[in-house]
Amino acid sequence: MRKASLLFGFLALMAVDFSEKKKIKIWMIGDSTMSIKEKKAWPETGWGMPFTNFWDSTVTVDNRAKNGRSTKSFMTEGLWKAVTDELTEGDYVFIQFGHNDEVPTKKTATTPEEFKTNLIKYITETSNKKAIPVLLTSVARRKFDSTGKLESTHEAYSAITRTVAKETNVLFIDIDKKSQALLQDIGVEGSSYLFNQLKPGEHPNYPDGVEDNTHFSELGARKIAQLVLSEIRNLKIELAERIIIPAVKK
Amino acid sequence: MRRKFQNSISGAVILLIVSFAYPAKKKINVYLIGDSTMCTYESNRTPLAGWGMPFANFFDSSVKIDNRARGGRSTRTFISENRWQPIADSLQEGDYVLMQFGHNDEAKEERYKDRYTPVPDYKTNLIKFIAETRAKKAIPVLITPVTRMRFDKEGKIQETHKEYSAAVWEIGISYNTPVIDLDTKSRDLLHQLGAVNSKLLFMQLDSLEHPNYPVGQKDNTHFNEYGARRIAELVLTEIKKLKLELADRIIVTPLRSK
Repeated sequence: MRKASLLFGFLALMAVDFSEKKKIKIWMIGDSTMSIKEKKAWPETGWGMPFTNFWDSTVTVDNRAKNGRSTKSFMTEGLWKAVTDELTEGDYVFIQFGHNDEVPTKKTATTPEEFKTNLIKYITETSNKKAIPVLLTSVARRKFDSTGKLESTHEAYSAITRTVAKETNVLFIDIDKKSQALLQDIGVEGSSYLFNQLKPGEHPNYPDGVEDNTHFSELGARKIAQLVLSEIRNLKIELAERIIIPAVKK
Repeated sequence: MRRKFQNSISGAVILLIVSFAYPAKKKINVYLIGDSTMCTYESNRTPLAGWGMPFANFFDSSVKIDNRARGGRSTRTFISENRWQPIADSLQEGDYVLMQFGHNDEAKEERYKDRYTPVPDYKTNLIKFIAETRAKKAIPVLITPVTRMRFDKEGKIQETHKEYSAAVWEIGISYNTPVIDLDTKSRDLLHQLGAVNSKLLFMQLDSLEHPNYPVGQKDNTHFNEYGARRIAELVLTEIKKLKLELADRIIVTPLRSK
């Protein structure tokens, strides 16, 4: 009898817990390392793609990241406005730029000052909508020196992102640092499998092969998404309570 | 002027060829029959993937990949559960049946007696698939079972399907059926990757690394999405080498300028 009432209490608790979880959206804004790839670009994969598999039914991931975009071009093209128009209280906005900001020869390039100003603008406008900004540094490129030590490829712009995170006291994931550690750990050869590297004839989408040290394979994208997930757990934010819990397997 | 004329002639010839080549491509079905290393998985089991999943991305719109492979099935249970007959019934001329069994046929342990199929029966079942595929003027393709990851102490890759892969070859030769030796090709791949990096292809996860596998996973048989794709690429390479008509239906992508 006592057992039964305990069980009933537990079930009731669970029911309450689930019904109380408000549906939210995770918006993702960023560049090609995060974006959804067209089928013709497969197996190139943005880390936002496997990231959608981590969440329970209360979470919708809306990945708006786009190849080639910087903090500047994401705004001037109206991509950011489309997000703010729909942003709702309790939503999250994952902000990750740098690859197309930090290369001065790119049309999308921003100066360090502009980069900082733009990041703050994303954060402020997210907070204005009572949504929750999460700032990320750029994910590492695969660049090893001759001794097999990974070289940092976003030094200046990751430093700016860190500064902005500190000054605005925003949720922050240093994925540059985490992904560097991952690549170093897997090593020169192993890490090549995390990137879109194909021999000629290996995959029909890349008949002449490809050797990309910036964009991920499906494996690399998932490994990065897993790093982000692990940091979300470490931050102990409400979002972590929405990570999918699988039914117990026999 | 003359060159222009020649160009327009060759242009017209190309157009003519193209316009004949395209409508001539009849729509076909490619049935995949096999086990857990080939089958489709729901997203709640991701990153677990059968190689049939990425394989479906390799072909143009004239091909429909129908992945009927199922986890835990041997040639015997695939038939006894009535999974084969509906395929045999719906086969059309020019369709393909790609068959890869062995993992469950060869499972001799007591707990797997529901699926175990001795080699002579395994061969009989493969012959049945071949004969009934051909009866419909469809094309059977035999595939040896993809390797398990097993390295010895010296880091040398071990054979894990000896008997059953040999049986596939025997049937392939006796019945003049194309064989894709995926067992050998996948072992070559793992050999090339080595004992450490080969793990990147399999369902190997630390606890909490992926929410679908909270306590982690150490699996040397089943592939993750990356391993599945690498295996699918091996199958594709062999399809090209065998010069199967199916190879003409691989998606064509223009070379990229670097």
